[in-house]
Amino acid sequence: MASMNIDNVGKAYGGLTVIHGVSVEIPDGEFVVLVGPSGCGKSTLLRMVAGLEPITFGDIRIDGKVVNDLPPKDRDIAMVFQSYALYPHKTVAENMGFALKMRGETKADIEARVRKAAEILDLVPYLARYPRQLSGGQRQRVAMGRAIVRDPKVFLFDEPLSNLDAKLRVQMRAEIKELQRRLATTMIYVTHDQVEAMTMADRIVVLRDGRVEQIGSPLTLYDRPANTFVAGFIGSPSMNLIKGHIRASPAPYFETDDGIRLPLERTPAGSDGRPSYYGIRPEHFTLGGDVSAHVTVVESTGSETQVFATLGQQKIIGVFRDRVEEPASHTIAMTPNASLVHLFDSDSGLRID
Amino acid sequence: MTIIAQTYEEPGSLWSRRPQFLTGSLLIYAALVFWAFVSLFPIYWTVTTSFKTAVNVTQGHLIPFVDFMPDWKGWRSLGLSPDTIFAQSTVRDEFIRRFFNSIAASAGASFLAVIIGSLAAYGLSRFSYKFLWMKNKDISFFFLSQLILPPVVLAMPFLVLYKHLMLLDTLTGLVLVYTLMVLPIVIWIMRDQFDTIPVELEQAALVDGCSIWGAFLRIVLPIALPGMVAAFILSVILCWNEYFFAALLTSSNAKTLPVMVASQTGSQGINWWSMAAIATAAIMPLILVGIFLERYIVKGLTAGAVK
Repeated sequence: MASMNIDNVGKAYGGLTVIHGVSVEIPDGEFVVLVGPSGCGKSTLLRMVAGLEPITFGDIRIDGKVVNDLPPKDRDIAMVFQSYALYPHKTVAENMGFALKMRGETKADIEARVRKAAEILDLVPYLARYPRQLSGGQRQRVAMGRAIVRDPKVFLFDEPLSNLDAKLRVQMRAEIKELQRRLATTMIYVTHDQVEAMTMADRIVVLRDGRVEQIGSPLTLYDRPANTFVAGFIGSPSMNLIKGHIRASPAPYFETDDGIRLPLERTPAGSDGRPSYYGIRPEHFTLGGDVSAHVTVVESTGSETQVFATLGQQKIIGVFRDRVEEPASHTIAMTPNASLVHLFDSDSGLRID
Repeated sequence: MTIIAQTYEEPGSLWSRRPQFLTGSLLIYAALVFWAFVSLFPIYWTVTTSFKTAVNVTQGHLIPFVDFMPDWKGWRSLGLSPDTIFAQSTVRDEFIRRFFNSIAASAGASFLAVIIGSLAAYGLSRFSYKFLWMKNKDISFFFLSQLILPPVVLAMPFLVLYKHLMLLDTLTGLVLVYTLMVLPIVIWIMRDQFDTIPVELEQAALVDGCSIWGAFLRIVLPIALPGMVAAFILSVILCWNEYFFAALLTSSNAKTLPVMVASQTGSQGINWWSMAAIATAAIMPLILVGIFLERYIVKGLTAGAVK
């Protein structure tokens, strides 16, 4: 149980800077997810927090104490690795109790705590087995068990679910979230999967190329993305970004590069004629209205229908709860909900309010 | 390709298969039998010769009880035949001394080489070094390249060096030379071994409260143990059979078995029977090692070959 303070932390290999000064404040007990495409530096950042990677500049504090130069063993953190990193020559119980043994706790104490953790994770029948005798999901739970028996100040997760199949991943996602509620320990979780980030996090840190793009709660990121990158990264299928210009008169509207008019509720001050992106999520289209698109493909999953279409020269996707048949004319009327439109500057990519 | 396809043709006896498959496998088996014969015949010859008398050796009799009657002559000269085993025998005492010298030299050197070699291999596997222009790959090759040098080249330097260090005819001296000799192989095997162990395991150990040495000793070493056993056995075999440096650097005190085998030449020529008896006794431990520990050797040497 601890707060963590990542203050302008950076990493450079030789002359190549891969993390350009990241700052995140994490209050005690918060579940923070670092998310971003591969190569964005999220795992490196986590490893710097763990002490497995030296910090080039900036400070990392746990409970206000700078830990930059402390070795991993003195930071009181627990980490779950992507590959689980279970010790193959130790049983489940020995794997889970190893950290306690290293700390010099008594045998009875270790046994009791391992047992308690095993009960939480449904691992009691497997305590005497070796990692190679377990399934992927069980191994994953042992890796978590190894972390929770220690009762550390901070938990670190490095893409722990990426080796599991889709169904198990959804199940473990909920289990980890529940575990975090129960233990109320500060957690930092790294993933490239925005669905994982959205479903689990109290707060999400979106990283790209070693820089923070936005920090906020999942719904803040969804409802008010700060730039086109976050807009495109959060949400699936991702937000449609249509290029064009904002027009203020006679009434506010958006003119795409192909001259198609899209509805706007209002124009932000001084934005008349500004080249920009019109962001609309696929689920924020309504069938009908006066915007018509050329349908290329219609895909139905049963619960929803995805319509792939072109608006002038630009590709768009719409998602509807209603069943949509592919029209014979290949033309469909789908109109953006004007109150849910996001505008972004086309040069900087930043949100225009 | 064709062979693979044909093996799936089922069912049918061997003879119903296509002829080229039959000749193909026949050729392979013939080659294997031939090679087995080439490998095993010297051992057969050595063991049977230890039961021959002079006449049988010179006349080239090969099959016991058919060509010749086995005789204890060779073993008697060693003091190891049934009728002499409980009697005093200076030859036997010497044989036992040489035997223990061989054990001490090869086990000692292998032990030392595995410890030093594992540390070196771990470094090469986990850290990036740069010495002048040489990086890890070059350093590994540099170690192995010591095997290219013929031992004869080192004969004079070693003789002079050992004379000054007063290591001539000592077991310590022999252990040091042998350690040097097998170190490249040990480093090579152990580096492969460490390369197969994921770095995350050590990082997990660091997070779990180990120091770097703790992670190495508690996590990495136990996992690498099969490889270490393989490297140890291989080293023992190489040292056990080593003749050149043993003949050069020892005279009476630290003499090993191969030197004793070679010294069975008297004024009347070579005593084939006693030489064969000593040789048989000398290779026996290795044959046992080969039979009982073969799977460890294979396991250790092929680690990382198949994931």
